[in-house]
Amino acid sequence: MVTGTDLSLLRLLQLVSPGLPIGMYSYSQGMESAVDDGWIVTADDAAAWLDGLLGEALARVDAPVLARLYDAWHYDDLHAVDHWSQTLIACRETAELRSEDRQTGQALARLLDKLEIAEAQAWLRRPDATLATLFSLAAVRWQITKTDAIAGYLWGWLENQVLCAVKLVPLGQVAGQKLLMQLSAQLPVLVQQVVSISDEEIGGSVFGLALASSRHEMQYSRLFRS
Amino acid sequence: MTGRKYKGPLTVQRPFYPEGDACHVYVLHPPGGVVAGDRLTIDVDVRADSHALITTPAAGKFYRSEGDFARQAFNLSVAKGACLEWLPQETIIYEGARLSSGIAINLEPGAKVIAWEINVLGRPAAREAFTSGEADLQWRIFRDHQPFFLERSRLDAKAFAARWGLNGQSACGIMVAGPVSAQALADVQELIGDAPDRGVTRIDDMLICRALDARADLLRLFFNRVWALIRPDVTGKSVCSPRIWAT
Repeated sequence: MVTGTDLSLLRLLQLVSPGLPIGMYSYSQGMESAVDDGWIVTADDAAAWLDGLLGEALARVDAPVLARLYDAWHYDDLHAVDHWSQTLIACRETAELRSEDRQTGQALARLLDKLEIAEAQAWLRRPDATLATLFSLAAVRWQITKTDAIAGYLWGWLENQVLCAVKLVPLGQVAGQKLLMQLSAQLPVLVQQVVSISDEEIGGSVFGLALASSRHEMQYSRLFRS
Repeated sequence: MTGRKYKGPLTVQRPFYPEGDACHVYVLHPPGGVVAGDRLTIDVDVRADSHALITTPAAGKFYRSEGDFARQAFNLSVAKGACLEWLPQETIIYEGARLSSGIAINLEPGAKVIAWEINVLGRPAAREAFTSGEADLQWRIFRDHQPFFLERSRLDAKAFAARWGLNGQSACGIMVAGPVSAQALADVQELIGDAPDRGVTRIDDMLICRALDARADLLRLFFNRVWALIRPDVTGKSVCSPRIWAT
């Protein structure tokens, strides 16, 4: 059976590509210090670390907030866009994690502005810009569905973290691909959970991540910006 | 202090003024523990330009529950130019306890705060781990009613054991202090040095310090040292330990 290719799928692939010029590759989200401190030594350690972050933090904070930002852009509710962007920044546990979100959010705003998405311009220098704010804007304007946008955001995070693990632990390329296969298998179920989370249930800080990121800020020699 | 009101077994003792204008207050919860279905709420309102240090004479406790959650809420508001030091002793969360605990702090412009929370899961001295139970712990800091810092940890057997969680260590703590200078951050980083399981960050001008330890007393000692280091920066006063801590 041959069906037509949906343009929105190609737009999503562009949005989550590591080639997107927003510098994601320079952020490890505390993994660099977790490896340096000996918390992550093997591929299994990396899998357990990422599995925890995915289930406890990404699925309870980033993804449900992304879903709300998507709706806010969809209905042109700029007040809600501000509210959820500020909520997401306030959930970032350390200075480095906040500047990562701000820098990648502003970088995506610059790109979307050049790609002629009008609303992006207001976010070029806003301190409460987050990656999810601009990601959701692009998803709405490019007619990517909400569940695909959530799955894509989680996938993009996971792929970047696995690439960090490959460089830092280090892992072989095949081991990295196995890790991606294994962890991404749970994304469809997580996405379904995310869309049913209520506002009151939002929130999930992972103590190890907060501690690792704090320790990264004082790590003597480092490759990554977070 | 101009007034104190309390209901149920909670009591607020007569304040001390051991360092002049700063009001030291001890809050007691005599039965010593919160059980399923209990709801403990403490509201503190620090008025403009005043200074309060609040602590507790003993550890708080949450006991095992078969079903219901125990709930605890601290609502702390600090007015313009005022300073609050919220330095309770640790909270012991027994194996099997189910609780939700929330600290909400609202800071008006120019307000100063030093606050910590130390939680101990299970009773390591009694060789009790944390293989069942659930704690939903929230910190919410607002600056002029805008959310500034929102943290919510769900601790259960999985989070207790996991490396991304507490890595099997029974004591975890968070301490918030501000406004502080960049120098205060450097001082705390130097204090930490090579010590494992200690971390600090500065978000805008607010210091957030975190620690994990197998022993609550060592974690407490670390927080006391951080407090001694940064108190002059935040409050302009050197350390004056509440007398009750020595007993």
